[in-house]
Amino acid sequence: MEPLLETQDLTVRFGGVVAVEDVSLTVPPGEIRGIIGPNGAGKSTLFNALSGVVKAEGRINFDGRDIADVPVHRRAGLGLRRTFQHVRLMQNRTALENVLVGMHLEIPANPLKSVLNLGGGVSPDRAARDRAREVMSFLGIDGLILRETGTLTIAQQRLLELARALAPGPKLLMLDEPCAGLSVPAVQTLDEILLRLKEEWKLTILLVEHVVSLVIDVSDSITVLDKGRVIAEGAGDEVMSNPAVKQAYLGTEEVDAA
Amino acid sequence: MTEFVILVTAGLANGSLYALVALGLVLIYKAQDMVQFGFGEIFMAGAFIGYSAYAYLGLSYPASFLLAILAGGLVGLLIERGLIRPIAHFPHMTLVMVTVGLSFMLKGIFRIPFAQDVYTIPPMFGGSPIIIFDLIFASQNLLTTATSLVLTLGLLLLFAFTDLGKQMRATAENMFGAQYSGINIGLVFATTWGLASVMGAAAGILSAPITALFPDMGTRILIRGFAAAVLGGFGSVPGAIVGGYLIGVIETLFGFYVATALIDLSAFLVIMVVLIFWPRGLFGTKEITRV
Amino acid sequence: MEIHRLFTNRLFTPALFVALCLVSTATNPYLQYLLNLILVYVVVAVGQMIILGFAGQFAFANAAFMGIGAYTVALLGSHFGISYWVSLPAAGVLCAIVGCIVGLPALRLRRVYLGLMTMGFAELCYWLFLHWRDLTLGTDGVKVEAPTFFGIRLDTDDAAFFVIVIATFAMVLLAKAILASRYGRAFIAIRENELVARCNGINVPLYKTLAFTLSGFYAGIGGGLFALAVRFVAPDTFNLLQVVLHFAIVMVGGVGTLSGALLGALFLTMLPEVLRGTQAAQEMMYGVLLVGVIVFMPKGVAGYLIERRILPPEVLVHGWREEVRERDGIPQADAKPSTAE
Repeated sequence: MEPLLETQDLTVRFGGVVAVEDVSLTVPPGEIRGIIGPNGAGKSTLFNALSGVVKAEGRINFDGRDIADVPVHRRAGLGLRRTFQHVRLMQNRTALENVLVGMHLEIPANPLKSVLNLGGGVSPDRAARDRAREVMSFLGIDGLILRETGTLTIAQQRLLELARALAPGPKLLMLDEPCAGLSVPAVQTLDEILLRLKEEWKLTILLVEHVVSLVIDVSDSITVLDKGRVIAEGAGDEVMSNPAVKQAYLGTEEVDAA
Repeated sequence: MTEFVILVTAGLANGSLYALVALGLVLIYKAQDMVQFGFGEIFMAGAFIGYSAYAYLGLSYPASFLLAILAGGLVGLLIERGLIRPIAHFPHMTLVMVTVGLSFMLKGIFRIPFAQDVYTIPPMFGGSPIIIFDLIFASQNLLTTATSLVLTLGLLLLFAFTDLGKQMRATAENMFGAQYSGINIGLVFATTWGLASVMGAAAGILSAPITALFPDMGTRILIRGFAAAVLGGFGSVPGAIVGGYLIGVIETLFGFYVATALIDLSAFLVIMVVLIFWPRGLFGTKEITRV
Repeated sequence: MEIHRLFTNRLFTPALFVALCLVSTATNPYLQYLLNLILVYVVVAVGQMIILGFAGQFAFANAAFMGIGAYTVALLGSHFGISYWVSLPAAGVLCAIVGCIVGLPALRLRRVYLGLMTMGFAELCYWLFLHWRDLTLGTDGVKVEAPTFFGIRLDTDDAAFFVIVIATFAMVLLAKAILASRYGRAFIAIRENELVARCNGINVPLYKTLAFTLSGFYAGIGGGLFALAVRFVAPDTFNLLQVVLHFAIVMVGGVGTLSGALLGALFLTMLPEVLRGTQAAQEMMYGVLLVGVIVFMPKGVAGYLIERRILPPEVLVHGWREEVRERDGIPQADAKPSTAE
């Protein structure tokens, strides 16, 4: 089957520093791919390269097309959505407005339709609102739809950011450390949500996370980065018992006692 | 040729004042990432305080100068501590608006005593020109340029060699890092405003023998300060200085050889042209955007 | 009764319109003139609010666009005899185009640079108004020809009022529709974080340009209406003080709210009338007022009133109130999640 995402020798340089080096990934559709690695391994940079925020060398194929020269907003239009390490929502606006920003491309651009709603029928904003409610309901936060975002807890805000990414019906969802700041029960909720997204929505997910237990639980396959390079790839247990991986995290070559 | 030299020295003299103003603007911008739109009024305040000391208190010019810059520095300090510090966390637009409101307040305050007349201070050395190598220099222009240079140099030395200067540079680089290193950034901010205002007030009192003083003079100089800072690369200290001298010379030559009506516009033209074609200016650095 | 419900009532807008018309017939010429001016500044303020308050672009060319709009109407009328009903929309379109062009360098300029550049442009326009005597007649100014409506010359303040009030209401309602759509949301997303806006599919350069174009249009129409209200267009009106005024209107009114544009225009147009006295006294009070409002009401008057639930909140989604059941759906910290239907 055609992979949904394929990169070849992806490299990102900042001045003299190489943040990501020769990363080649192949992600089939419907898979949850965990991406782990110590701090500074280049995980967020990888996401930035994939979404187009930073310039990268090497090939990036998404859904069968080369997107290396596709600008950020068009990659989003092709079905590539993401969340951010630090929640990036409009704190002074309602949850609904935030989700609807994610639906920008789903609402017709023609102002006669989207501004004045000429030509009758349901107003585009109404349809978008219904969709937003649907998604937020799936995530269990639909009661918050008109709440001011700044009044929500971090867990609620993370789910809201997820709703914003999900509302347009993406093909690939990139989650950047979604568990940061979450309590254990909240992580468990996220765990269930991710599995449901895979089962019910057939979504392909790239998951950067430090909470290794979550990553092992939901991922079909894990890629490990260290100092910008891929040092291991495969199923959860396999990867975690890989000595190179242990060395990267712990800094020493350790043989498990007993 | 003589004419050209006279124009250039006049331009440099004016430019030295623009450099001081630009320096003050850039200092505050570097430290707090905000533009002090009331800075022209600090210039104006320095000019009028100095004038008052000279004309009403009978102090000598050097003494008036000293008083003016100390008063100016104090005003800057008070504004920072009393008005800006409490609201430093407000969004940028808001802080800018506050400085605009401040400029109105200061203008109004100084307009009360100084509304009517035209106020001037006679030149220091009686206006007789100095002749070097067959070239004629207006003595006041030389004095202005020299004093301004001394001040600028003093400031640069302070940055380079004193502890406080190093702390100021560190805070400008990275405010949070500086805080974590134990630097008292409140003190840094206060000092920055104080020093910047000293520069502005100095430019004001230095301009007194050259031009007539009036309460609206602040706006005029502010624009030139901006033009100088933009030309030099906003956020660059050497840029502000070089930019100031350049603007002074450009303006004078433009006004003489092209059209006097253009003198007022030339600063704005410089701003627009530089920002459209070379936004970084002469010495500016590319800033990195973070997600 | 909660006061904000007054404003969300469907009858509010027509009632306000009727009320203003009644007020207009009952007042003396001076107050009529003031009322006209307030309405004109509402339109102009919306222009500045769109680019600064919503799209978050530190652009201060609004005053220049207003001037261009005013001069366009005045000159088309006096030099070419073109009817006001043509020259007004022409002014809007022209300024929309100019706004678009001014916005182009803005695409790559950051905050302070954009502010300085647009201020430079505003000053350039002022200089042109002053010195391009062949076109603008310089300080002599241009008299504005009164429009005719089915043969009746509308050359009094009362007559001008009817044109102005209809135009203002139309423009404000249009702005409301635009801002509560994907366009308004794109603007505020850009203001919040351009990169995140891009990641959500928003073509930032395109929408920034749209914001500039739209704000130019509003300022241009506002300028054309201004010409009608004052009947005489001169350069001095459009100097840096005008730039500051537009900025102050947005900040005092409340960034990012449409009601802020209305309230800001109301207060700051009335202010010179209220602040009588010497120029020095006026300046000081103006300055103190600006600083005071900003420091104590950082979200502006509208922001403050919205927080106090005197004004309704502004949610940029068409028909969002349908989400609400019993409550009026005010987003606040202690709001309980709404129960399902």
